[in-house]
Amino acid sequence: MAGSPRVLPAVLGIPVVLWQAVFFAAPLIFLVVVTFWQVKSFRLEPAFVLDNWTRILFSTTFQRALVHTFTVAGTTTVLAVAIAFPAAYTIAFRLSTRARDLAVAFLVVPVFSSYMLRIYAWQIVLSPEGITNALLGSIGIGPLPLLGGAFSLQVGLLTLTLPIAVLTLVFAMAGIDRTLIEAAENLGCRRARVIAHVIIPSLRPAIALTATTSFLLAFGDYISPLFMTGSKPPTLSILIVDTVKSGSQWPRASVIGVSMLVMLALVLGLGQFLSRGRAARKEATR
Amino acid sequence: MRTPFLSGDISRRSFLKAGVAAGALTATSRWSSAQADDPKVLNYLSWPGNADPYLVEQFEKENGVKIRIKEYVGGDQMLAVINQSPPGSFDVVLADAEYMHLLHAADFIEEMDPADYPLKDYWPEFQKFPLHWFDGKLYGVMTDFGYLGLSYNTKEFTPKEVASYAALWSEKAKGKVGFFDWYLPSMGSISLSNGNRPPFDIDEAHFEAVKEKLFSLKQQASGFYTIADIFSSLTNGRAQLVPGIGEWITLGLRMNGVPVDTIIPEEGGLQWTESLSIVKGTPKRDLARKFIQYTTSPEGQVKMATKVDNKKSIPSIPGWKLLNETMTKEAEILRMTLTGPNVMDEYKAKKIQFRQLPNQQEIADWNDVWSEFKSL
Repeated sequence: MAGSPRVLPAVLGIPVVLWQAVFFAAPLIFLVVVTFWQVKSFRLEPAFVLDNWTRILFSTTFQRALVHTFTVAGTTTVLAVAIAFPAAYTIAFRLSTRARDLAVAFLVVPVFSSYMLRIYAWQIVLSPEGITNALLGSIGIGPLPLLGGAFSLQVGLLTLTLPIAVLTLVFAMAGIDRTLIEAAENLGCRRARVIAHVIIPSLRPAIALTATTSFLLAFGDYISPLFMTGSKPPTLSILIVDTVKSGSQWPRASVIGVSMLVMLALVLGLGQFLSRGRAARKEATR
Repeated sequence: MRTPFLSGDISRRSFLKAGVAAGALTATSRWSSAQADDPKVLNYLSWPGNADPYLVEQFEKENGVKIRIKEYVGGDQMLAVINQSPPGSFDVVLADAEYMHLLHAADFIEEMDPADYPLKDYWPEFQKFPLHWFDGKLYGVMTDFGYLGLSYNTKEFTPKEVASYAALWSEKAKGKVGFFDWYLPSMGSISLSNGNRPPFDIDEAHFEAVKEKLFSLKQQASGFYTIADIFSSLTNGRAQLVPGIGEWITLGLRMNGVPVDTIIPEEGGLQWTESLSIVKGTPKRDLARKFIQYTTSPEGQVKMATKVDNKKSIPSIPGWKLLNETMTKEAEILRMTLTGPNVMDEYKAKKIQFRQLPNQQEIADWNDVWSEFKSL
């Protein structure tokens, strides 16, 4: 019955299911299928060969890019959480309501501004003849090779991830039951113990979410590795483009794409597992 | 607390990032044929910018037609587009000369009558350009060309210091060598530095030697730049030496005050060549021929040479004459003056080799070496 309260949600959910089927499941299946196809004379031809998989997975270029991309995304994740946590704590617990709203607004703006533009701005700031080196030069230091390397890459990736990380944690902290904090303080806990034993445990799912989001964004990013390091060394996203650019090797590029998706799914699963750990423990102690 | 609402979002985002291949594939393979048959539309497959009004407006007015361009970036993409489009999608194609044999082998382009085009007005060196002829038959007409050598920051390096590709390995160049991120001109320059002539037709032993020499540049490299980034890298000093690029990049920068120049080192340089061909089976053969005639006419050639964002050398002597008469300053800047030193000097001095696709190895083999070098 259309009017039934049980049927209505199902009906409302149909567009979402259709959307996911058409724009997520179908392209994903196509991507996997293409990994077995062949390119002949720059034309993609249906086939069933494993050559693309063996050629990519056993190539040192792919293996190096994989390790590099994991290392870079892992570093960004640690830095993003480490920087975002105290920042979010200050915004959520130390600032007045007005200042907090202002801080949140300042964090929201970059999320909706062009990432590409922000990276170009960083190039001007960090380049050998850029603003930072001009300032350092005026006091007799440098020029320092700030652009093109691990430092500038992390600057770029944190530009992408940090505002989102801070916002996620601020909103999570705003939702913490303040009576728990007051109770801990009334029982004589110092601030550090409150953070360690009340705030962090309450935020566990949010921290896991922040970490996985940062990792996913950094892992798949193309712009920062390209413009902040000059593809040196290439990440997996860059390798996808390289594979297509010369020789139109869409099947091999799809192998890299599918491999990335598998790894992201694993990371996502890990994130979900970590956020569930808390709930499971709660259940056990009840 | 579970966050199920986010899992779908994250998957979709990561899918979009990683699945760029599928999207781009669709983008390159789609070409609406709705207008392809219109007799008043010339369908033009070309590098970006070649249907700029500055170049084609006069032709459109004179012939009462519209040029409809499908742009590609790089010869591989051009081949992918033409392979994946239905016959009749294009009437005329502008391609780099090194891809001409692939277009010919795949039967995509028509034989042309040399008498239809002003080839006799070209510099003698270009009247019978080898990459355009197959079995004594003409399949493409040169429209413009340029050289690739060693581009350098003139504040940091003197012309004497960069007279040889050996400058790339100098202590001074450590961490300052930028690369244009395309295996062909970059590895071609390294092959030239190893004394290989022609640089792309080398046996396995010489290919291994090129690989080894390329890998020895690891410590020197500052990065691998796309077209979008090569200009800014030369401007901001990240790249102070770049092999395998040329005045198509440095001339515009220099005119904007950036201290850069290009030299053809003693080991030689490469020539890129753009050519127009008629696509096989087009019903608009006459219009395509007229367009190529227009582009190779003195007026069309001058426009080709002086297009604001991409200045090029032209093969037509009447084109040079018209340029010198009407745009004296440009003729000097472009080194196309009829008296005194000009761009033909390097060619006449036999310092120039054609940029060609690898002959004895697969494209993928060269590309794999390039990818490996980037990941070292």
